[in-house]
Amino acid sequence: MDLIQTLLDGLMVGGLYATVAIGITLVFGIMGILNFAHGQMLMLGAYTAFFVVSAGFGFWPALVIAMVAMAALGLLLERIVFRHTLTDHMQGLTASLGLIMVIENLAAAAFTPDHRTFEPPLAGSFQLGPLTLSSQRMLVLALVVVLVVACYLFLQKTRIGKAIRAMGQNRTGAALVGIQTSQVTAVVFMLGSAMAGAAGVLYGSLFAITPYMAAAPLMKGFILTVLGGLGSVPGAVLAGFLLGVAESLGSRYLSASFRDGYGFILMIVCLLYFPRGLFGQRGKIRV
Amino acid sequence: MSALLDAPAVNPPNLDAPATGAPRAGSAWRQRAAAIVPWAGWICLAVLLVVPMLGGSRYIVYLGTLIALQAALATSLNIVMGYAGQFAMSHAAFYGFGAYASALLISSLGLNFWVAVPLAMLGAGALAAVVGYPALRYTGGVHLALITFAFGELARLVAANWHSLTGGPMGMRVMYSPSPFFGLELSSAKGLYWLAAGMLLVCLLVTLAIQRSRFGRGLVAVREDETLASFLGINVVGYKVAAYVISSMLAAMVGCAYAPIMNFISPELLSAHETISLIGVLILGGIGTIVGPILGTIVFFGIPEMLRVARLYRLVVLGVIIVVVVLFMPKGLGGVLRDRLARWKRGLA
Repeated sequence: MDLIQTLLDGLMVGGLYATVAIGITLVFGIMGILNFAHGQMLMLGAYTAFFVVSAGFGFWPALVIAMVAMAALGLLLERIVFRHTLTDHMQGLTASLGLIMVIENLAAAAFTPDHRTFEPPLAGSFQLGPLTLSSQRMLVLALVVVLVVACYLFLQKTRIGKAIRAMGQNRTGAALVGIQTSQVTAVVFMLGSAMAGAAGVLYGSLFAITPYMAAAPLMKGFILTVLGGLGSVPGAVLAGFLLGVAESLGSRYLSASFRDGYGFILMIVCLLYFPRGLFGQRGKIRV
Repeated sequence: MSALLDAPAVNPPNLDAPATGAPRAGSAWRQRAAAIVPWAGWICLAVLLVVPMLGGSRYIVYLGTLIALQAALATSLNIVMGYAGQFAMSHAAFYGFGAYASALLISSLGLNFWVAVPLAMLGAGALAAVVGYPALRYTGGVHLALITFAFGELARLVAANWHSLTGGPMGMRVMYSPSPFFGLELSSAKGLYWLAAGMLLVCLLVTLAIQRSRFGRGLVAVREDETLASFLGINVVGYKVAAYVISSMLAAMVGCAYAPIMNFISPELLSAHETISLIGVLILGGIGTIVGPILGTIVFFGIPEMLRVARLYRLVVLGVIIVVVVLFMPKGLGGVLRDRLARWKRGLA
């Protein structure tokens, strides 16, 4: 029973990682923009939810408002900064490092570095057979599944989703067949930012919110993006759940203080034996 | 300061040199004048290094020590990032490794400082080879970035959790000062400044030696096009691993100086934030130039000191400066100066 409980915990945390990883897969894996400020979007999303919930509007409006607000911020950043750095990974990376400093310090000044929490919509826990499950954690897991499936269907079935995947395969080719690459880039950036906002709200409903909360989920998101195979949404999700379970098992049965380490070990082993990631394309990559 | 940057070996091939044909008349003196610029740069550096010695202010000496250390670190990272073009995210880990290794060798085994430094460097070099080889077998750089990042975080976690050896997350106090170097006393504040400045000079000289050598030109070829470089008979993987190992060893060397200067080491030293801000410094200053890391460090760490009045907002201002530099000066300060100089030399500016 202990094992199943641990596995479920792992799935829940893994779901959060997967949500972050999808946003990064869209922006980095498909568009090739190394945006480290993605984590700051998550932090701002969590704060948005905190303020909306504190104002008495409840959890669901907070989720929607946070996603819309982050999509708007994503559009702004894309228009002002990232559309100019499309050709160069390093440039985009450095610009996002600058943005991190701006956003994080402004947030620390405006919101104070105090830990904040807001009331989750479901409190308490329920019994399922011999298992004790936290209601809010189950809700988060369910929401993650909904977000992941919605995002996947959007990419697979809609016209613009197909345009996005086409651009991921070949930017020039996509432009040649009449895809408005500049607009599609903006859409991808908004979508990725909205996912970050949603992940932030879910994080905030479980953990404390601080201006510096962004670093760990961001790094895990990048790891998962590569583990899953660059640009593959199912790969990122699967890797997210794997990482969550690995961390949860490791900290339950080995050592809890080394929790973040298990993910990194998993990643190193994975990159050594599956250098293209779980769902990445095959190909010659050795000179 | 303006140019330790005349770097024929690292000029990207697309500089507009051949496009304009023969130099205009009267450009000979410009050639000669431009040849002086690197020397002027070295003189500027020497003046800058001496300045903290003149005033009696302890604060200036301390600030100079910190900037020299950071500049040394950025210069050593420049070897693997700027010349070999490989995105290594483990620099802070080797920096911290050097600090911890030298502190433990000196305080537990009672070794002399100048014995501990090469030992720490050797350890770092071996570690870098073990980490770097599997990651650098692949083209594209994402593998190295991720594996080195994961290695750095693992190293930080080990430092934070190995209580008996490192003192855990609370860090450890370091109570020794480096022994004199050929009669030069290093235990005072000014002595420690000379230690940091010496580290910076060593890193600069190694970079310069690499840039002028066949090895350095090979690294630039690898950076520009790995496939092409392998056709030219360059051992691509070997060159990349060598650059990574050299860069990591230098980082460990600078780390050895960190311990006695700060009197305190904590696992935070190894965190990825340190590496990320170093990368920011490099790109701000101009990646792949000699002057870049120094210029970048002065701007990156100097401006926040100047903006002390604004307290909370100084990092915000710095962030805005980084974004603006990236958008309007993608080659960094050093790259812009180098291109200006190259244009001026041909009589175009």
